[in-house]
Amino acid sequence: MLSSQNKKVSLFLIVLGVVFVIMSVRLPKYPLVPVDADAVPIILGCLLIFLSILLFFIKDEPKDGEDSGQSEPFFNADRKMILLFGGLILLYIIFLEWLGFLLTTALFIFTSTFALGYKKHVTNIVVAIAIPIAFYYLFNYVLKISLPKGILPF
Amino acid sequence: MGVMDGILEGAKVAFSFQGILFVLMGVFLGTIIGMLPGLGPITAIGVMIPISYGMDPNMALVMMAGIYYGAIFGGSTSSILLNAPGVAGTVATAFDGYPMAQQGKAGKALAIAAVSSFVGGTVGVIFLMLFAPLLASVAISFGPPEYFALMLLALTAIASLSEGSTIKALISGTLGFMVAMIGIDGQTGTSRFTFGSASLLSGIDFLVIALGIFALAEVFKLIITRNESDSGPNKNIGSIRITKSEMKEMSGPMSRQSVLGFLIGVLPGAGATIASFIAYITEKKIAKNPEEFGKGSIKGLTAPETANNAATSGAFVPLLSLGIPGSGTTAVLLGALMVMGIQPGPMLFTEKPDLFWGVIISMYIGNIFLLILNLPLIPYISKLLNIPRPMLISLVTIFCLIGVYGISFNTFDLYLLLAFGIIGYLLRLVSFPAAPFILAFILGEMIEQSVRKSLTISNGSFMIFLERPITLAFLIITVLSLALPPLLGMRKKIKSIE
Repeated sequence: MLSSQNKKVSLFLIVLGVVFVIMSVRLPKYPLVPVDADAVPIILGCLLIFLSILLFFIKDEPKDGEDSGQSEPFFNADRKMILLFGGLILLYIIFLEWLGFLLTTALFIFTSTFALGYKKHVTNIVVAIAIPIAFYYLFNYVLKISLPKGILPF
Repeated sequence: MGVMDGILEGAKVAFSFQGILFVLMGVFLGTIIGMLPGLGPITAIGVMIPISYGMDPNMALVMMAGIYYGAIFGGSTSSILLNAPGVAGTVATAFDGYPMAQQGKAGKALAIAAVSSFVGGTVGVIFLMLFAPLLASVAISFGPPEYFALMLLALTAIASLSEGSTIKALISGTLGFMVAMIGIDGQTGTSRFTFGSASLLSGIDFLVIALGIFALAEVFKLIITRNESDSGPNKNIGSIRITKSEMKEMSGPMSRQSVLGFLIGVLPGAGATIASFIAYITEKKIAKNPEEFGKGSIKGLTAPETANNAATSGAFVPLLSLGIPGSGTTAVLLGALMVMGIQPGPMLFTEKPDLFWGVIISMYIGNIFLLILNLPLIPYISKLLNIPRPMLISLVTIFCLIGVYGISFNTFDLYLLLAFGIIGYLLRLVSFPAAPFILAFILGEMIEQSVRKSLTISNGSFMIFLERPITLAFLIITVLSLALPPLLGMRKKIKSIE
C-alpha cells in the first residue's frame, strides 16, 4: 500500500497536519478579539491535511535516474556523505563559541574539503588558514560584527 | 514633491560615489555567484545580508538589486560554457548557447547573451519607471482586505505556475506559512508553537529559512553532484565580435521579448525562469527556420536572455510599489529590506523617493556595468568556474553559518539553520519546490495580520472580502488560477477519450 513515494510523504504530512491542528486548538483563548490567534493555524493545519489527502491519490512522476531502483540501500555513498557533512556542521556549531571562530572555521574547511575528496592538501591548508583570517578581519574590524574569539587571545 | 524631484533625488543617490561603487560591487558579486552552478540569486542575496547591516539602506538595496540581476546575467555564462546553468532563469540559454560554444563560437555566444541581457534589462527598467509609480498611486487606497487578497493571489500564482505538481507547490507553501506562525502573535500576545523556548518567541528569522531551505539545501545537492565531470570552460572562446547581419537577426527577438519578459516578470509567481522559457517557445514558433533552434541559433539564444533580464526588472514592480514580492528571490529581497527597517509599499514612492528612484536609476548604471564586465572580462572571470567543488561546498557552508550567526549571535539559530537545510534537502528529494515555501514564510505573517485586521474592521463579517470590488476581483483571479489548470486538463482528457 505504501509503495509510492507520494503516499509515504502524504501520510507523514497528514500526521503533521493533525498534530498542528491539535496544538493550535490548545492555544489559550482571548475573548475580546474577533479572530483569535488559533484561527489561522487551524485553517493551515486543515489545509495541509486536505492537500496531503489529494497527494495520496496522485501517481508519482517518473524519476529521472536519480535514486531510482528499490535494490539500492537507503544509505548509499552519497547519503552517507551528506550525513557525514551534516555531522561536521553540527560539530562546528557545538565548538564555535568554545574554540572560537578562527580555529573552528579553519578545522571545518580543511576537514570537510578533505572528506569530500579534495586531494591537494597544501592548497587546502592554505585556504583553510587564509579564509578564516580574512573573514575574521572583515567582520570584526571592518563591519564591527564580533565573531567569537574563543580560546585565542585576539 | 513631484515625480521629477523624486527622480532627481534618486539620481543623486545612484550617481554618488558610494552608489556607483555599490552597484558595481553588487553586479560583480552577482555575476560571480550566479555563474557558480547550483548557487542562485537567493543564495547570493542571503549571504550578503549580514554584510549589509551597517550600510545605508539606499546603498544596501542598490547593491542587493545589483546582485539579483547580476546573478541572472552571470548564470548565462555557465549555461553557455558548461551547459550547467548557474540559475534556473538561464536554463533556456543553454539550449542554443551551449551548441554555439561547442562550435567554437563561445565568445560570440557570450557577446550575444551580454547584449541581449543589456537590452532586456534596460527596456525592463524603463517600463519599471513608468509602471511602478502608476501602480503605487492605485495601491495607496488599498486597505487590509485588498492586501490580503493580493498576497493570497501571489501565493497561489507561484504555486500554480511553478514547475511540477501544483499540489506539491501548495503543500510547500502551506508548510512555509505554518513555520511563519511560530513565535508571539502580534495581536493577542499568545506564544505559538514555541515549545517553551525563549529563542523562538520572536519567530524564526527569515535568513535562517532563506539560507537553510535554499543555500544549505543547494550545498547538500552539490555534495551529490560534486564528482560529475566538468572539464572546465573551453580555453579557446573565439572572437566576441557580433556582425551587422547577426545584430539584425537579434533585433526582432530583442524587441519582442523585452516587452513580454517584463510583463511576465510583473505577474506574481512568474519570474525569469518562466519568462525565458516562454520567450524561447514563442520565438521558435514564429521563426522561419525553427529547425535551427537547439543547434546554436542566434534567435534561440537572444530570446531567453532578453526575457529573463526584462523579467527581473518586472519583478521589482510589485515589490517596490505594493511591497508584495511575487517570487522567491524578491521575497528574500523584501526580507532583507525589513531587516534594515524599510517597509516597501505604495508609501515608499512618496516617503522615500531617494530609495525608490535611487534603486531604479542605479539599475541603468548596473546594466551598463554588466555589459562592460561581461564583454571583455568574461573569459577571465569564468576561470572561477574551476574552483574545485569540495572547496566550494565548504566555503558556501561557512558563508551560511557566519551569515546567520552574525545576526543573532546565538548558536540556537545555527541548529535551526542546519535543521532547515535538511528540510530543504528532503523537500528537493521528494520534488517539492522550495520557492513557494519561502514566499509563504515571508508573506505568512502579513497575510494573517491583514485577514485579522480586515475582520476587526468589519466586526467579524466575512462580507468585507466580497463587498470591495478590488478585493473581490483579486479573489476571483485567485480561485481561477487554482481551478482553471486542472479543469482544462480534465477537458483535454475527456476529449482524448472521446
